[in-house]
Amino acid sequence: MAKEVELDCMGEACPVPLIKTEKKLEELDAGDMLIVQVDHSCAMKNVPEWARKQGHNVEIEEVDDGEWEIFIEKV
Amino acid sequence: MKAMFDKLKQNVLYKKWFKDALPYITGAVLLSVFQVVTFVTSGNPWGVSGVFANWGAWLYELVGGSVDNMYYFSSPGAQATLDAGILAHAGTWRNFGIIIGALFASLMASGFKFKKIKSVKQVVAAVIGGLLMGYGARIAFGCNIGALFSGISSLSVSGWLYAVFIFIGAIVGSKLLKKFFM
Repeated sequence: MAKEVELDCMGEACPVPLIKTEKKLEELDAGDMLIVQVDHSCAMKNVPEWARKQGHNVEIEEVDDGEWEIFIEKV
Repeated sequence: MKAMFDKLKQNVLYKKWFKDALPYITGAVLLSVFQVVTFVTSGNPWGVSGVFANWGAWLYELVGGSVDNMYYFSSPGAQATLDAGILAHAGTWRNFGIIIGALFASLMASGFKFKKIKSVKQVVAAVIGGLLMGYGARIAFGCNIGALFSGISSLSVSGWLYAVFIFIGAIVGSKLLKKFFM
C-alpha cells in the first residue's frame, strides 16, 4: 500500500532540506510519495536535482509566494 | 489591476528574466562585468565584509564608544573614512544596493517570504556561524567576495589559497551542522 509522507523543511537553509530528504527517502518503500515542503529557493533547485539523479519521479508545485512542495515518488 | 499582473506572470519573457533562475553562466558573466564597473568607479575591488566593520564602528560611536584606540582603525585612511560618515561611504551604498536589488529580485519572482525561526538550536547555530564568519572575514582581510572573488580576479594567489581553505572549512562546518544542529 503506497503511502504519502510529508517532510516539513520550512525555515531551514541549505543543506538541511537535502540531508533530511535523503534520510527520509531511505526509510520509504518503492511507490511511496515523499512531499518535501521548502521555502528556500536553493533547496527548490537542489533537492529535485538530486532526486532525479537518483532516478525518482519529481514534481514541484509552488504553493505560495516563496513556498514550494516537492513531490518525490520513490522508484 | 490584479488581472494585468496575472497576465504579466504568464508572459514568456517575464518568466525567463524575472521568475525562473538565470543560468549560472549568465550570473557569472554579469557579476564579472559589474565588479569591473565597481573597481573602475570606486577605485577599490568589490568587497562586502569591510563595510560591516565600519558599520560596527559607527554604531559603537553612536552609543558613545570610540574605536580610535583600535589598531584596525588606526591608519589615516581608516580614520578619514570613519570621520566622513556612513552616507559618504561608497561601500555602504554598494551594500544597500545589494540588499535592495535582492529584495527586488525576490519580489519580481513572487518569492518574497518572511521565514519563521524554527528552534533555539537554529538561533544558536546562526549566531555562532555569524560571529565566526565576521571574525574570519576580517582576519583574512576579506570574505568570499573581497578575498576570494576579487582576489582571484586580481590574479592574486591568495584568492586561490582562500578558495582551498574555505572549501575545507565548509566541509568541517557541514559535519558539525549534521552532528549538532540538525
